[in-house]
Amino acid sequence: MKQIKLKYLFISLAFATVLASCSKEKIKPTPDTPGSERAGLYVLNQGGIGHNNSTLTYYDYTLKKLTSDIFTVANTEKLGDTGNDLGIYGSKMFIVVNNSDLLDIAEAKTSKLIKKINLTQPRSVVFYKSNAFVTSYSGTVSVIDTTSLTIIKTINVGRSPEQMVVSNGKLYVANSGGLDYPDFDKTVSVIDLTTLAEVKKITVTVNPITITADTYGNVYVLSAGNYGDISAGISIIDNTTDIVKSQSDLSLGYNIPIAAYGDYVYYPTADNKIAMYNAKTQKLERANFITSDVTITAPYAITVDSITGEVFIADAKDYSSNGTVTAFDKNGTKEYSIETGVNPGRITLLNK
Amino acid sequence: MKITISGIFKYSRSLSGYFALLFIFLLACANALAQQDSSKKLKEVVISSSKAPFIQTITPSQQITATDFTRYSAANVADAIRNFAGVNIKDYGGIGGLKTVSVRGLGANHIAVLYDGVQINDAENGQVDLGRLNLNNVQEIALYNGQPPNILQPARSFASASILSIITVKPRLDSGKPFLITAGVKTGSFGLFNPYVQWQQRLSNNWSFIINSYLQKANGRYNYINDDGLVKSRQTRVGSDIDAQQVDGAIYWAKNDSSKFNLRANYYNSDRGLPGAVIVNKPPPAGQRLWNKDLFLQAGYDHLFNSGIHILLNSKFSKNYLHYFNPQFPSTAGFLDQNFTQHEYYQSAALSCYLLPNWEISYTADLSVNNMSADLPGFRYPTRVTLLNVLASTFILGKTTFQASLLNTNVTENVATGTTIPHRNIFSPTVMATIKPFDDACFQIRGFYKYIFRVPTFNELYYNFITNTKLKPELTNQYDLGFTYSKNLDGLFEYISFTGDAYYNNVTNKIVYTPNLYNGSVENFGKVDIKGLDAGLKTQARLGAGYDAVLSVNYSYQQAQNVTDPTSSIYLNQLPYIPKNTFAFNAGVIKGPIGVYYNQQQLSSRYYNNNNNDEDYLPKYTVSDASVVYKGAYKHLPVILSAEVNNLFDKNYMVVQSYPMPGRSFRISFQITI
Repeated sequence: MKQIKLKYLFISLAFATVLASCSKEKIKPTPDTPGSERAGLYVLNQGGIGHNNSTLTYYDYTLKKLTSDIFTVANTEKLGDTGNDLGIYGSKMFIVVNNSDLLDIAEAKTSKLIKKINLTQPRSVVFYKSNAFVTSYSGTVSVIDTTSLTIIKTINVGRSPEQMVVSNGKLYVANSGGLDYPDFDKTVSVIDLTTLAEVKKITVTVNPITITADTYGNVYVLSAGNYGDISAGISIIDNTTDIVKSQSDLSLGYNIPIAAYGDYVYYPTADNKIAMYNAKTQKLERANFITSDVTITAPYAITVDSITGEVFIADAKDYSSNGTVTAFDKNGTKEYSIETGVNPGRITLLNK
Repeated sequence: MKITISGIFKYSRSLSGYFALLFIFLLACANALAQQDSSKKLKEVVISSSKAPFIQTITPSQQITATDFTRYSAANVADAIRNFAGVNIKDYGGIGGLKTVSVRGLGANHIAVLYDGVQINDAENGQVDLGRLNLNNVQEIALYNGQPPNILQPARSFASASILSIITVKPRLDSGKPFLITAGVKTGSFGLFNPYVQWQQRLSNNWSFIINSYLQKANGRYNYINDDGLVKSRQTRVGSDIDAQQVDGAIYWAKNDSSKFNLRANYYNSDRGLPGAVIVNKPPPAGQRLWNKDLFLQAGYDHLFNSGIHILLNSKFSKNYLHYFNPQFPSTAGFLDQNFTQHEYYQSAALSCYLLPNWEISYTADLSVNNMSADLPGFRYPTRVTLLNVLASTFILGKTTFQASLLNTNVTENVATGTTIPHRNIFSPTVMATIKPFDDACFQIRGFYKYIFRVPTFNELYYNFITNTKLKPELTNQYDLGFTYSKNLDGLFEYISFTGDAYYNNVTNKIVYTPNLYNGSVENFGKVDIKGLDAGLKTQARLGAGYDAVLSVNYSYQQAQNVTDPTSSIYLNQLPYIPKNTFAFNAGVIKGPIGVYYNQQQLSSRYYNNNNNDEDYLPKYTVSDASVVYKGAYKHLPVILSAEVNNLFDKNYMVVQSYPMPGRSFRISFQITI
């Protein structure tokens, strides 16, 4: 009985993997060999607030070479203070440098700066149809044309917006209100990506920060709660009706990165384990995704490779020394680990 | 609940034990005194006529007196002690910038600052901004590792890893000239205007008073070179203006040497800019402000009974108000406006007596109540009641002196809402000894062991919206072995003194604050091992032809290693901001009324994070100061004129990452005494 179930699982997993791969631009028949399609990975390290020590670590898959700060190698200046997010779109890389009030646009493959755009306390970046969307603590999402590299529109959203996700032709923005303590925000703004206007605000658990989407029409929102009587939690939004279909409390730690791929959603719990949630059955698959003997002290970022299914988990350690990024295969077995800079907050894969 | 670390931890529920202890103590004193009446003789203070500094203390000590402040181009207490061995000043730059001190690799919260024997306590931050403490009314500053040598003192003097003792100017007038007025003004770079006045008045044979007042105004501006990656540009530090006033008055009563009383009131008011970190791509930070309104009243009574029992009573009330405003906070309101008020009620009672002519014992109890309010949402409004009890003893046997003390700390905390830290009852011992092994009394060997801790501050416990009430005290063990050599000479050198101390400190349950944008986390995160060396040389020479020369050299070695986790990549790495080598040099030549001085401080490279790699690197620096002082008379009235240059060679450097320090600056001052 058990065997049959497992078999079933494997088949569905394989099926889902193929399906998911199909939805991407490039299809690779042997997805399990890393490096066949990827050139390497970038890790954006926040550094310490006020230290101006944000760095960009690059790991080259082919050469197995680690460059601790490729940004200063490629450019004549430092990245700045608290690099918060990094996204690659086409040949360009967009780096959100939060405390330097900066959006750096660089060549994805060389990290060479193309343009700098000043934005007030920018937080994160996503892309959709030749536009980049950047949240800012001024309560807005800036729309930037990725060709002309100019701001074409600024959309008002909720308070202290954090992360975004594109799902079903819509942009979902987590409005944390985190700087208005104790009066947190508790909404997710829905932006129509055709009209570039906010169409709805969905109420979720207080203080939503991170957000991701699966291929089953669900948008997952992690909220930190109010650090008092309202617990942290997860809200799952139906991307057709834009209604919260389920909401539950979770025991989350200080850092709450979330990532989804295929059938699974990954997020860290208060005991610094990586929970693996089944998107298809909407049930917790495993309390700890990691099967190798690896301890993550401070899980700071999670990224899943949509080609290989590998899961990359960043560890910020003591927040004032270099962190690590550990790569796991899709079964949770450790593959390798690389050293990053201080507070590795974003892992982004670079294609060849 | 029971924790066992090298100290002894116990939990007690009643005060009856202390009263029993006090009773036994008094009984012992009375019994001993009934048998002998030699205490008077022993009480005599040994005043050395030599010029050699007083270094032969049982624990390492370093002093600076008022006459030397200009020699070190010092404008505040932080400047005055920066040359001391083992001292590390964290300086955020500029005239109003925060300056805190840490000693021998232990954090700034492990030093207690005493003002005429009574602690300037800050339950909120646990650190005193030494940049704020003006030198106008200071007579002497002393730093003691471990604790001061005297055992008749408030219990708080026993309750920190090191003590910085500030002694104020006392009126010393006779009926011939019953008043003394000193007025002066300092001006120079940073747009500084600092007039001050001191009035000493003798009222009667028993009564006298002193009043000090100053005004400090400065725009605080200075130029620095901003190294924005590979591009260097000249920028001006703005938003660091200060407008401060202080009034300090004390009334003294003395009836012969055995009975003394004083009452002091001190009020400080300031409005200053708080320049933040210099951030890449952002305009120079400006606009954040701090307002302080601090009041304290302090009284002391010292009485030596004919019976030989010596008592020392100290009382203090303080109220500290702090207002912080940040006009550029990216919240919906767009600003941050916070108000904090702390109160302290403090009473100390100490008594000592000689059980034998060579054996003195003391018992001290301090009770303090600290509370804090803040207009932060969900603030806990903590009240902390601390009871300290100390039994101490000094025993002299031939050329050996033994001293030991046992401190009991009892902390109870209450909050208006939510949870708080558990009741703490901790015993912490100190043992010290000196020996003069040779016939030559100039040479002395000393050593001490002290176990002490610091309790988490109100900020560490309650500032953030995640409160950290699981925090435990940060514990330290200090071991020191050293020697002193001090000799008065008749030849070219008037005296020579040399000290050297090797020490080992370890810290467990280190309280580590990690800031992040929403709220920092505070945890008992680490263990630290510190091995160090302090060495000092002082001498004074007669060069002939009326020239005198002074020289003082200090060297410190500090290996402060993170030993939290042997498997971690930062294991055995040097702690942030602690230089391995510090070298301080001060020399001067004096002829008649004119003195010319040069001061130099060299710090080896430091790291501002735990990595100890290139990205954390803060380069070594050498900063030099020079001053010329004229001490003469104008129409028979004593005047002092001085000109000082700080950072003589215009060195561009940082003590704290992203906080550039001022380049060359000037200060001139004039003082007249009527």
